[in-house]
Amino acid sequence: MTATPPRRLLRELVGLVALLGFVGNAAASNDSTAAGGAAIYRTGVLSSGQPLQAEREGGIQVAGTAAACINCHRRSGLGMKEGRRTIPPIAGSYLFHPRAGTEDDLDLPFVEGMKGDRDPYTDLTLQRAIRSGIGADGKPLSYLMPRYTLDDAAMSELVAYLKTLSPGAVPGVTDTLLHFATIITPDADPLKRQGMLEVLEKFFADKNRYTRAISPRLRSSHRLMFQVNRRWQLHVWQLTGPADTWQAQLRAKLAAQPVFAVLSGLGGRTWEPVHRFCEEQSLPCLFPNLDLPVVAEADFDSLYLSQGVLLEARLMSGELQALRESTPLHRVVQVYRVGDVGAAAAEALAASQAGDGITVVKRGLSAGRNLATAFRDVAPGDVLVLWLRADDVARLGAPPAGVSQVLISGQMAGLEQAPLPAAWRAVTAMTYPFDLPDKRRVRVDFPLGWFRIRQIPVVAQQVQVDTWLVCGIVSDTLNRMVDTFVRDYLVERVEETLEHRAVTGYYPRLALAPGQRFASKGGYVVRFAGPSGAHVVADSDWIVP
Amino acid sequence: MGVRQWGLAALAASGTLGLSAQASPEVTRSTVEYAVPAVTLVRDDGKRVSLPQEMDDGRPVVLNFVFTSCSSICPLMSQVFGEFRRKLGGDAGPVHLMSISTDPEQDTPTRLNAYAHQFGAGSDWQHYTGTLQASLTAQRAFDVYRGDKMSHAPVTLMRAAPGKPWRRIDGFVTPDELLDEYRQLLAGK
Repeated sequence: MTATPPRRLLRELVGLVALLGFVGNAAASNDSTAAGGAAIYRTGVLSSGQPLQAEREGGIQVAGTAAACINCHRRSGLGMKEGRRTIPPIAGSYLFHPRAGTEDDLDLPFVEGMKGDRDPYTDLTLQRAIRSGIGADGKPLSYLMPRYTLDDAAMSELVAYLKTLSPGAVPGVTDTLLHFATIITPDADPLKRQGMLEVLEKFFADKNRYTRAISPRLRSSHRLMFQVNRRWQLHVWQLTGPADTWQAQLRAKLAAQPVFAVLSGLGGRTWEPVHRFCEEQSLPCLFPNLDLPVVAEADFDSLYLSQGVLLEARLMSGELQALRESTPLHRVVQVYRVGDVGAAAAEALAASQAGDGITVVKRGLSAGRNLATAFRDVAPGDVLVLWLRADDVARLGAPPAGVSQVLISGQMAGLEQAPLPAAWRAVTAMTYPFDLPDKRRVRVDFPLGWFRIRQIPVVAQQVQVDTWLVCGIVSDTLNRMVDTFVRDYLVERVEETLEHRAVTGYYPRLALAPGQRFASKGGYVVRFAGPSGAHVVADSDWIVP
Repeated sequence: MGVRQWGLAALAASGTLGLSAQASPEVTRSTVEYAVPAVTLVRDDGKRVSLPQEMDDGRPVVLNFVFTSCSSICPLMSQVFGEFRRKLGGDAGPVHLMSISTDPEQDTPTRLNAYAHQFGAGSDWQHYTGTLQASLTAQRAFDVYRGDKMSHAPVTLMRAAPGKPWRRIDGFVTPDELLDEYRQLLAGK
């Protein structure tokens, strides 16, 4: 990872601390002190621009990003569980809360690894912990905790930042309501839109059906307060107009109705402005339905189910590689519609072939233009790649004479339901970035039954099943978070727990980790078993390209 | 439903209160016979290799399991390997350090190679990925699988030569401690 120039970083972090809604004695000077601390915490860079230095047990030196607090204590400062070891929260309120007379008196949102039965840290004992690895109780901290070399100025910046991390009031969360938005771009497919919204509305209605109107505050013997009965409220943020106005529209919508997180959603040819908005606002944007997500794994707030057509481009790249090993390959001709996601996928595939001595031709057809024009000079030995939607696929006509290798995007064409004419089926391999129909049947039957009982018409099955899946992921994660409503913590908990899910819908497996933003990482290459019907057969096992 | 979850949360809280931030973890050492499973892995140079062949080339093997997105334990374990290798120097004879990914779908050879580079790995320290199944088979064979990649614990395994038993170290050891263990193993102690 390259270090961001300190000045730019500082500016960004000042903005960030302002966004965190840092309250209390937050005078302007404290903002910049905490911003310096944020840079130390998140990137391991001191205000001087020098890397943060530390030593671990056994004399092992660590510096810079490798030494940054965020690696273990996470962006939320609420720690994590790794292995049998719990990394404790170091957000200010967890460090400085008074010793609980008994554990029952602990009056903080529940986080794994929180400690009630110890003296509170003071600024002095906290400095000692950071520099010498001695806890508030005078005992050595875990071997995982490095001993940091920090001068007094850097130390006070870091401590000021830790104090800002404390969970407080969160926009979009009230005593009785949890507000969510779902974002739909104007170019989204209307049928998918309808299908997705029906699932979301029914899921929210179901969730709220079992909620009592007034939430009694439950108390455990530990006085952990868990308000089980917050209702979920959905806000549909329908964007309009050109993409360069979406970010401003979203800012206005968020200002008018704060939400805790963005759940599901539906995009068309670009999602970039929405992704940027969520990053800018530190707003979790969880698993929108997209053919073309934004690949920016250093970003934090947006999680995606897969890389969509970009994953397919990598699957195709592997397929081309295998083809090359058996037959001479002259040219790859990629066909897509201008203004659809196929353009970006074709670009990615072309880039992956650069330097391999293969001519890659990209043919973008504007809407209404006859597909045959793209195939006119396609010759035997050429590989044809189709980034086309079902309506185009149905109108393909006859394949060009002599062409024996065609690759088609399953995600765009409609997977096994793609209306691929019989003459094409014998020569076409389809990238299939999901589990195979036979293998996913049991996992998908469950949501389909759920839809049936609730009389939700199945109009876009994969999008609807994904939407249902995502609602379940968020609901389960929030249940595990008890009442600790912190946006970063939601993202972190999804990262940490997603792998445990048995219910994964169209996907054989979902998993994330810090720095991973795409939950399903592979796919199949399949062929139609016959001249008609929806039976597909995989060429090989699950491929992670 | 809600009450049950609340109960579990309280239970979890009482289970962890007072347990975190403890000092030096326990380290346990044992000598164990493991059957090396006949799985195919992909090395960080992209080459498909057989795990038994990689282990049985005559060199002593030092083995651990890591994943590149792991932010706490794995970088430390990899640093220990790096320091161990540096301290061992060239005089100690050939050795083969092996790190197998527990997150093979994310850890492509390219990612592993970048990770290896970050910790100064060379031809005597290689990283391996492969299919999820192959990684799981290897993890289970060496009894390091704990349900998912996040639940791993630091384990180091070493073996003086093919056919000999494995020395297993559960817990965190410093580079010097690892060096002592290794020298004792080679000396047949």
